[in-house]
Amino acid sequence: MASDSSSASSSSDEDEESAGQKPNVDVNINSIDNSLDAIENQLSSIALNTPIDERTLPSTDYHQEPVSEIDDGSSRESASEMRRNSIGESSSSRGSGLWRNNLGVEVEVEPEADGELSSPSSSGYAGERGSSSSPTSACGTDVIRELRDNGSSIGDDGAVPLDPSQTQWIRGKQHADEDDGSISWRKRKKHFFVLSHSGKPIYSRYGDEHKLAGFSATLQAIISFVENGGDRVKLVRAGKHQVVFLVKGPIYLVCISCTEEPYESLRGQLELLYGQMILILTRSIDKCFEKNSKFDMTPLLGGTDAVFSSLIHSFSWNPATFLHAYTCLPLAYTTRQTACAILQDVADTGVLFAILMCKNKVISLVGLQKASLHPDDMLLLSNFVMSSESFRTSESFSPICLPRYNSMAFLYAYVHYLDVDTYLTLLTTSSQAFFHLKECRIQIEAVLAKSNVLNEVERSLSEGGMRIEDLPVDPSANSGSLFHLTHRKTPTNGTVTGVGGPAGLWHFIYRSIYLDQYVSSEFASPISHPHQQKRLYRAYQRLYASMHDKGVGPHKTQFRRDENYVLLCWVTQDFELYAAFDPLADKGVAIRICNRVCQWVKDVENEIFLLGATPFSCLLEVVVTNQILKPSRGTIPSSGGCQTLADCHDHHCLYHQTSLPPSAAQWLQKKKQRLASWFFL
Amino acid sequence: MGLSSAAITTPSEALKFCIFDLRRGQHEGEELEKILFFFPADLPFPTQLSVIGLSEGLITFTRIFSPEAACEVIEAELHSHVFFEAEPDIWMVMVVAKNKETEAIWRIEALRSVLKEIHSLFIMFHGSIRVLLDKEPGGGLTRSHLFTFIMDYLNDFLMGNKFVLPNFRDSLKQRGTVQMLTVGREAAIEVQSLVGALDSCMGNTSGYSVILFQDLLVSTTLTPDDTTNLFSYATSRLTPRVLSSGRSSTWSYLRKGNAELASRSASIGSGLDGFRIVRPLQHGKWSKGKDGFLVTDIWGVEVGNLVPTTPTLWLQQTEHKMYLCAYQHKSLTIILLIPVTSMLNGEEGISMLKQQLLENASAKIVKVEEKLAKGWGGENAYHVKGYRYLLVDGDRNISRASPPGKVTTLTKESLLAINKVREDVDLEKSRGNGNNDDKDLEICIRAKNNAWVIARSTRGKELYIVLEKANETLLYASEAIEKFSDRYCNGAFSLD
Repeated sequence: MASDSSSASSSSDEDEESAGQKPNVDVNINSIDNSLDAIENQLSSIALNTPIDERTLPSTDYHQEPVSEIDDGSSRESASEMRRNSIGESSSSRGSGLWRNNLGVEVEVEPEADGELSSPSSSGYAGERGSSSSPTSACGTDVIRELRDNGSSIGDDGAVPLDPSQTQWIRGKQHADEDDGSISWRKRKKHFFVLSHSGKPIYSRYGDEHKLAGFSATLQAIISFVENGGDRVKLVRAGKHQVVFLVKGPIYLVCISCTEEPYESLRGQLELLYGQMILILTRSIDKCFEKNSKFDMTPLLGGTDAVFSSLIHSFSWNPATFLHAYTCLPLAYTTRQTACAILQDVADTGVLFAILMCKNKVISLVGLQKASLHPDDMLLLSNFVMSSESFRTSESFSPICLPRYNSMAFLYAYVHYLDVDTYLTLLTTSSQAFFHLKECRIQIEAVLAKSNVLNEVERSLSEGGMRIEDLPVDPSANSGSLFHLTHRKTPTNGTVTGVGGPAGLWHFIYRSIYLDQYVSSEFASPISHPHQQKRLYRAYQRLYASMHDKGVGPHKTQFRRDENYVLLCWVTQDFELYAAFDPLADKGVAIRICNRVCQWVKDVENEIFLLGATPFSCLLEVVVTNQILKPSRGTIPSSGGCQTLADCHDHHCLYHQTSLPPSAAQWLQKKKQRLASWFFL
Repeated sequence: MGLSSAAITTPSEALKFCIFDLRRGQHEGEELEKILFFFPADLPFPTQLSVIGLSEGLITFTRIFSPEAACEVIEAELHSHVFFEAEPDIWMVMVVAKNKETEAIWRIEALRSVLKEIHSLFIMFHGSIRVLLDKEPGGGLTRSHLFTFIMDYLNDFLMGNKFVLPNFRDSLKQRGTVQMLTVGREAAIEVQSLVGALDSCMGNTSGYSVILFQDLLVSTTLTPDDTTNLFSYATSRLTPRVLSSGRSSTWSYLRKGNAELASRSASIGSGLDGFRIVRPLQHGKWSKGKDGFLVTDIWGVEVGNLVPTTPTLWLQQTEHKMYLCAYQHKSLTIILLIPVTSMLNGEEGISMLKQQLLENASAKIVKVEEKLAKGWGGENAYHVKGYRYLLVDGDRNISRASPPGKVTTLTKESLLAINKVREDVDLEKSRGNGNNDDKDLEICIRAKNNAWVIARSTRGKELYIVLEKANETLLYASEAIEKFSDRYCNGAFSLD
C-alpha cells in the first residue's frame, strides 16, 4: 500500500497521546485530589478539603490488556449495532417486513403515520435509543470480526499501517476504566469533553462519563462563573497545557491538550466534534434542553463512541480537519468523468447529493442544482460512515443531519459499500426514498463495474498520489499526467529509498480555494513514521492558524525555519501552498521548488481535483464567459472570478494568459515580470 | 484636582489588578484575608472575591493537568486575565478589557512583564512580600506597602483618567531590559577610569556604581538583575529627562487621590494604621541639589536638622541593604550603592563619601560627560534607515530598539502583525522552556499590507524587524536581515 497519510498505527498514536505513563509517578496525589473538589468551592470562595480516594492505578499499555479491551469493545459494538438496526437494516434480514424488526427494540420510537415503509426514525434522536437488547445476526458476526481485527492489530503492533477507520473501530472508547482520579488519565495528552449546561457529562474521550460527573460539574462551574460575570471563557493556558472552551447553546465542549496545537485549531476541532454530534442528532436537541435543563443526552449517543474517537483520531492525520477542504482520489480524467456522469444521472432523479468515496477521498460528487455541500459536512459524513462498522455489512438508510447544510433538519443517507474501501452515499430529503435509492445504487454499481472504475480506484489507492520524488525537475517539461509515469510502481518489498524531493522538499499540501479541495503529497522517507507525520501536520496547523489570523490575516507569504523544518506558505486568491523542507534547505532554492510544485499541480489538476462537478455553485457562471482554457485543463479552471483585466490581481489567473489584445498581452507580460521579480515564478 | 470617583471607576472597567496569598483565608468567612491588594479598591468585596475566586479556582484546576505550571492566562471574549506567581503561593492577577476600537489589543507576555517589574521593584525597596507577611501576620503592613507602591507605579500608565498599558504599539519595546549607550574606545577608557575613581571613593565598603548617560546605561558593577531593577527605577525617577519634565500636575493629582484611596484601603486591612510607608515611586519627589547630588524626602527627614534621610534598597541576590547615593552632572547620572552595614556612622559617613566624590572624581565626571555628549547622536542615534527593529539579548537583559518616534511611522497593520509574531515567539519559547534555550527560529511573514514582519531567535538573542518597503522578495528581506545582523549584531543572526 502506498504511504497513505491516514496510516497512523494504533499503538503509535496512543503512545504519543499519553505522555510517558510511569507507574510510579511522583505526584502529590492528595493535594491534587483535594483541589479538584475544592475548585467549585473556590469559585464561590469557599474552600473544602474532601479527599478523593486514589483507587485507580495507572493503566497499562493498551496491548497488554487485550481481553478487557475486546470485552469492552464488543459490548459497545452490540449497543452500536442495535442503534444501527434501529435506523438501518441488516442485509440478511431484509425482507418485506423491512422496518418491523425494530418494533421489539424501539420502545420509544414515535409511530410513523405512513405505515410499514416509512422511515425508521424521521423523528430524529428520539428514535435512536437502543438500550434494550435484541439478538440480531449482525451482532454476532461483528464480535467475531472484531476479535479477528483486534488480534491482527496486536500482532502487527503498528508495523503494518492500518486503515484509520478500522483502527478506530477496533479501539472505540479507550481507557474507559479511568477517571479524573487516575494519574494516567491526567497525563493523557489530549482530552475532549462534551457536557450539558447543567454539568451532565455527555462524552469524554478517555474515562467513563458517569465517573466523570464531578469533573464535568467543575468545567460547567468555570464556564458559568465567567458567564455570570458577563463574559465568555475561550482559553486557559497553563504551562504546556491549553484548556479550550466552546459553548453551543445548551451544549458545552472542552478540550484539554498539551499537544502544542494552536488555539484556533483546537477550537476548530471542538466545532467539528459538535458538528459530528449534530450530524447524529440535529440541533433540535436544543429543544430537549429547553424543556428540561437536566436532560440526559448520553442515551441518544449510545454506541457512537467509535464515531467520535475516529473523528478525534483524524485531527492528527487528516488535513481536511483544519484546511476545511476535501481531497480527491487521483484518477485519470476520463475515469472520473465516467463516475460523475452516472452520479449526475442519478442526481437528476431527485437525489440531493450523490457521493462516491474511497476512504476519506472523493472519487466523484454530484449535487442537485445549486445545492452545496460544505467540506466539513463531507468530513463528518465520511467519518460517520467509515467509523460505523454496520455500514460495511449492509446497505443502510440512516437519518443524518449536515450541520453546515441545515443544522435543524434530518436528511436521509443511503450508504452502500461497493468494495472494502469504496462506498456510495446518496442523500435525500425524503424519508421514503429507500427503494428508489437502492435502485439508483444498483444502476450506479452496474455502470461502475462495466466501465472498470472500481479497478481504477483500487489501482490508484495502491499506487498513491503525488510523490515529491516525481516532481518534474525541468520546469519547461509538462508532465501532463500522473498516470503516464513509467516508474509509478508500488514498492514491492516495502522498502523506501527516496530521501525526499529535490532541494530537501519533504512534503506539500496545495489547497485550491475555489474548488474547496486540497491535494497532499505522499510522505517521503524523512517523515515516513506516523509520529513524524503527526508532528508535521501540527506544524502545518500552526502555520495555517498564523497565516489566517483573524486580527491581522490573511498574510501573503510565510517562511518559517525551526529545528524540525523549513516551512513555506503562500496564500493567494486562488490557492494556498504549504510546503515542508529539510531544516537546512536553502531559501532561494526552496522558493523555486514551491513554484515548480504549483506548476506541477496545475499540470495534473484534472486528475487530482474534481473539476466541473463541483459541489459549490459559484463556479459555473464564471467559466462560460471565457473560452480560452485549454481542453486538457478540464472544464473548470482552478481559478475564477476575474471578469476583466482590472479585476486580475493575480498572476495565476488563467483567464488572461491567452487571446488578449496585444496591448493587454503586453501589460500582462509586464505585470508577470514584475510579479516574478518579487516572489516565486 | 482630586481623584474623583468617576476617575477611578472609568479605568476600573478597563483594568482590575489583585494580589492574593493562597496560604491565607482558607477557612469559611475568612476569605478576605487572602486579598493583599486590589485595584480598584472601592470595588465591592463580593466582586473582589469573585475575581480572586475564579483565579484561585483555575490555578487549582490547571494543576490537575499541569502540576508544574499552573494557570498563566485566561482568555475570555472581553477580557484577558494575566497570572504571575510572584512568590510561592502569592499571585498577581491583572484583568484587562479587550477593545479593538480603543486599541486595547494586548500581548500577554508584555502585560506579564509589567507584573514582574512591579514585583521586582517592590522587592528592591521593601523586601519580599512573604517576609513582610511573616513580620506582621495581620497583613496590614503588607497591604499598606503594596497599596501605596502599586498605586504610585500605576500612575505612570495613567493618561487623563485612562490607563494606557503596553499594547501592540509597544511591540518594538522590551520591558525589564536595559538600554545601553554604545561608546567609542577612547570614551570607554575614560569611563573605566571613572569607575575606578568611584570605587576608590567608596573605599573598602564593597559598594557598587552605575553610570547612566541620558536614559542609557554606560557602566555597571552590579549583577544583571539588580542593574535591570535600578535602571528601570533611575530612568523613571532620576534621570535628567524625568527631573526636568517632572513636577507636572499628575503627581499632585495622584498624591491627593492616593491619600483618598489609602484611607479607603485602611478598611481592607485589619485596622492597623500608623505604619510609616516609604513611597519610592512617588512622583516629583526627587530633585537635584546645589552640590549635584539628588535629594528626596521620601525616606523621611532626620529629626532636628531637616537633612533628608539617605534612601536605602535591597539587592536581589545578596539581600544586602544598600544606601543609594545619586549624583548628576548634566546628562550623566552616577548612582552609588554602599552597604548599610559597612557605614558604621550612617548619614555622617554618607556625607564624607559625597565629599570624597566631589573632590576626587568630579574632574573625571566632567570629562566623561563631555566625551559622551560629543559622541552622542541624539535621540535618533540608534535609528537604522529603512528598519524598525527590536534587538533583545535575553542572557544579558539588554535590548535596543528603533527610536519611538520612528516606530510610530509604522502602520497599525504592521504593528499588529509584529505583535502577533512576538506572541508566536513567546509561545515557542514557553514550549521549549528549560530543555533548549538556544532554540533557533526564523519567521518571515509578508503581511496583508505587503510589509515584511520578521522574527529571528537564536542562542538567547531575539531580533524583530518590520520592513514596510513594498514589492520586495523574500530573498531581499532575508538579505536585509543578514546585513542588519552583520552590521549591528556581530553576525549573531547570520546564517553562516
